Amino acid sequence: MPRLNKFRVRIETGDKGMEEPVRFCFNSHRLPLEDVSGGTKTGEVLEGGYEVNSVTHSMTLVGPDKGEWSLKKVTVDFECENTPPYSVEFPAVELDETSEMDIWQDPPLPTFDV
Amino acid sequence: MSFFKTVKNIFSGNSASREKVPTTASEDTPNTSTAPVEEDAPFSEPEPPAMRRVIRVSADTENLFPPDDPDKVLIKAQPSNTGDQCLFMLNRTLFEGHSWWYPTFESAEGSSLAERLFSLDDVETVLVHEATVTVTRKDKSILDWKPLGMEVGTVLRELLEEGGLLISQKIRDEMPSQDDIQNGIQKAINEEVNPGVAGHGGLITLQKIKGNTITIKMGGGCQGCSSADFTLKQGIHGSFRKFVPQVGAIFDETDHAAGMNPYF
Repeated sequence: MPRLNKFRVRIETGDKGMEEPVRFCFNSHRLPLEDVSGGTKTGEVLEGGYEVNSVTHSMTLVGPDKGEWSLKKVTVDFECENTPPYSVEFPAVELDETSEMDIWQDPPLPTFDV
Repeated sequence: MSFFKTVKNIFSGNSASREKVPTTASEDTPNTSTAPVEEDAPFSEPEPPAMRRVIRVSADTENLFPPDDPDKVLIKAQPSNTGDQCLFMLNRTLFEGHSWWYPTFESAEGSSLAERLFSLDDVETVLVHEATVTVTRKDKSILDWKPLGMEVGTVLRELLEEGGLLISQKIRDEMPSQDDIQNGIQKAINEEVNPGVAGHGGLITLQKIKGNTITIKMGGGCQGCSSADFTLKQGIHGSFRKFVPQVGAIFDETDHAAGMNPYF
């Protein structure tokens, strides 16, 4: 499992916005995003990140405690130890008080042309 | 919530004290996250972790190959983490809707693709799945795939440019229907696989079938078990192929990192 130095997430909210602070769950620890800009109301875009500096077992985006939150697109930029930075883009999903979204993805395996 | 109230609720069966447990689709896995603690209760016990279902969606993948020149055969090699196999991805399909596993040189008879690959030194097995070929090598001590990878790439490119039949007609003609394959695999799971892993608290479920390509999920004691890969390759693969010899690729879509009760 790779050691994640830091990540930055960009969340485009769809037609169901929410007003709670955005939280993520790293290795089952729930944390708020840092260095946040933008918002999560309908149609808004929020950006935030966190300097994790830890080995990653799981990482999720936590749904709101009340109501529903539709995510139009989620883009995560990862900076892991010993691998080049990489980006992952997730399609639309809807979260609520019973759900969280897996946003972790291992660094891509290196390829070469043959 | 106070300790005494919690105990009272447990014995009284008060459901209001329990956390909401999801009753959702099978691809969702329960996860734990820390619940907030009441601030004004100095001797309060933390609430048990809230159970939420984890939604997993496949990330959008960027196009591996630029669409500039579709006639040109483009191949990318991706060695596995363990170095024991290498995945070759092509910009064209080799076996539409199906997959085929060649465990030996003899099994390649009539399939020009596998015959030519087995003629390379060090190729042990070949798996063809739609637009990919996975090769394992005999010498497991060699981790550098570049030399053999270049040879495999040359063979694949030559074959595609020649334009012959890559997969033997016999394999195509004798391919069972998807329903027959599904019934056979379910029988293997029920009669051999699950009774075998039950002793370790494991449970195997058939998730998806496309043509003769199988996707399974490992649950219970198998999820997160350090021997899961060994169980899959040495036990489950063999059992599936015994019940349905025409099974091609077998994928495991288990999120082993989320395993809550691994056997090892």
